[in-house]
Amino acid sequence: MQGGTSVRLYGLEWPKESARISRVFDLLVAAILFLAVSGAFHLHYMLTAGDWDMWIDWKDRQWWVTLTPIMAITFPAALQYVFWTKFRLPIAATFAVVCLLFGQWINRYFGFHLWSYFPMSEVIPALLIPGALVLDIALLLTGNFLFTAMSGAFAFALLFYPTNWFWLAPYRLPVEVMGQLVSVGDYISYAFTRTALPEYIRLIERGTLRTFGGHSAIIASFFSAFVSILMYLAWWHIGMLLARVVTTPNTLKNFMGLTDKDEPAEAAQKAIDGTSLQGRSVAAE
Amino acid sequence: MSITMTHNAKSAAEDRTQPLGNFKLAAGVTLAVLALMVFWRIFQQVYAWSAGLDSTEPAFDAAWMTLLKVELSVIPLLWVVTWAYLWFTRDRNLGALKPREELRRYFNLVLFNFVYAFCVWFATSFFAEQDASWHQVVVRDTSFTPSHIVLFYGTMPLYVLFGVGSFLYAMTRLPKFATQISIPFVLAVVGPFLILPNLGYNEWGHAFFLMEEVFSYPLHWGFVVMGWSVLALGGLLIQIAMHMLEVIGRLSQEDQASVATQR
Repeated sequence: MQGGTSVRLYGLEWPKESARISRVFDLLVAAILFLAVSGAFHLHYMLTAGDWDMWIDWKDRQWWVTLTPIMAITFPAALQYVFWTKFRLPIAATFAVVCLLFGQWINRYFGFHLWSYFPMSEVIPALLIPGALVLDIALLLTGNFLFTAMSGAFAFALLFYPTNWFWLAPYRLPVEVMGQLVSVGDYISYAFTRTALPEYIRLIERGTLRTFGGHSAIIASFFSAFVSILMYLAWWHIGMLLARVVTTPNTLKNFMGLTDKDEPAEAAQKAIDGTSLQGRSVAAE
Repeated sequence: MSITMTHNAKSAAEDRTQPLGNFKLAAGVTLAVLALMVFWRIFQQVYAWSAGLDSTEPAFDAAWMTLLKVELSVIPLLWVVTWAYLWFTRDRNLGALKPREELRRYFNLVLFNFVYAFCVWFATSFFAEQDASWHQVVVRDTSFTPSHIVLFYGTMPLYVLFGVGSFLYAMTRLPKFATQISIPFVLAVVGPFLILPNLGYNEWGHAFFLMEEVFSYPLHWGFVVMGWSVLALGGLLIQIAMHMLEVIGRLSQEDQASVATQR
């Protein structure tokens, strides 16, 4: 392509016009990915582990600690497949989690706080960035999804509770309210009533003699870490599935007024989309 | 977005001065979408507490059901107009498409996908989780709550407009998408669209057996699975990048041939 002088981009000499095309395309793709991942990941997360994330009194030592990493490792794993295998970018997990937190914080403020008048202290989302950083580092160091699952995904879940403990601790302090001992988090949520969430369906750890030992969070973390490994492996492959370039012939072609001469040459099509399989075209992995 | 152009009269030098895609139109549509989202959010702030607490009140009918009726008539009209325009102005001579125009159309497609993703974000993130907050302060006595009227009957039909529109744009203006249907593209458009039919199950469930609002209940998992399909945009973008590389290769050959002829 003619472009006059060349420019240096990504460590390579490019014709000026090619560099411009590449830059504009990259920026558009980055914007699309940010919006799409933020929207899809947020929808997935809010409808699978959202209740524990939305409310301060749901952030218990059993369900919250178990469910959150299991449901939060999904999109990071899928994106790691695409980012790492296609572009050698070890930032997918952090990117996914930042997208999620962006959507959550915007919503907790504009929706929960400004519209429904819950105090921000009741609706703070969980912190996931440190675990995501470790997941990315594990992939960067091992370069292998299996080792990343065993080390990174394990660490992603184990780090979840310590990551959040420093900001959550004040809400675990005991207070006496009308003769009852409750936590500060419980008290905030009793004060700001949720009309569609009666106490009998608050899915949190129940106080038993077993939990007096204080082991609940540790046990839950290890169980979550085990399931997170499996989830990571499953979602790595879901990412692989959704990143495949698969096409099928357009049977409406003639109806659209197109003829065979409009069709790209078979050889060129194969070069673009991969090998042809009984009329379908599947990109090579 | 861009419409069919005649290229025969254009020289390669003139073509290079053209912008890569129709950025002005994309920016205008994005700003219009943003303005609509801001309007919806302000409408909620003003009328949800004053007229949205009891669906049997005349004030609810005046504010919220009016908004619903406007949405359900205007947005489907936009579907028909936009999709019909894209279909009837389709390029019927794709075999003669020059590489530079094809590259421009690929950028237009990416811009179309950007607007689609912009709408999807407002629907699946901003207004979706907000729905959880509203149902915790007002008991639902209708399927058409102040949060649902914006989320399900406003933002979601709007992203269907751009999702199907971008698919039609690719199918009618780009040779490779015209001859081969892209499965990631189908997933990225049809999956989020199917959230709307899944809404029927959601409302049925809330109406007949589940008045509480635990967001993580299995009743909502249909939305989750449909949301996963947005990830197929990744496969689509990879496909577009591969196609563009091939077009750039042809463009380079064309330019070299042009230089050789001039010498």
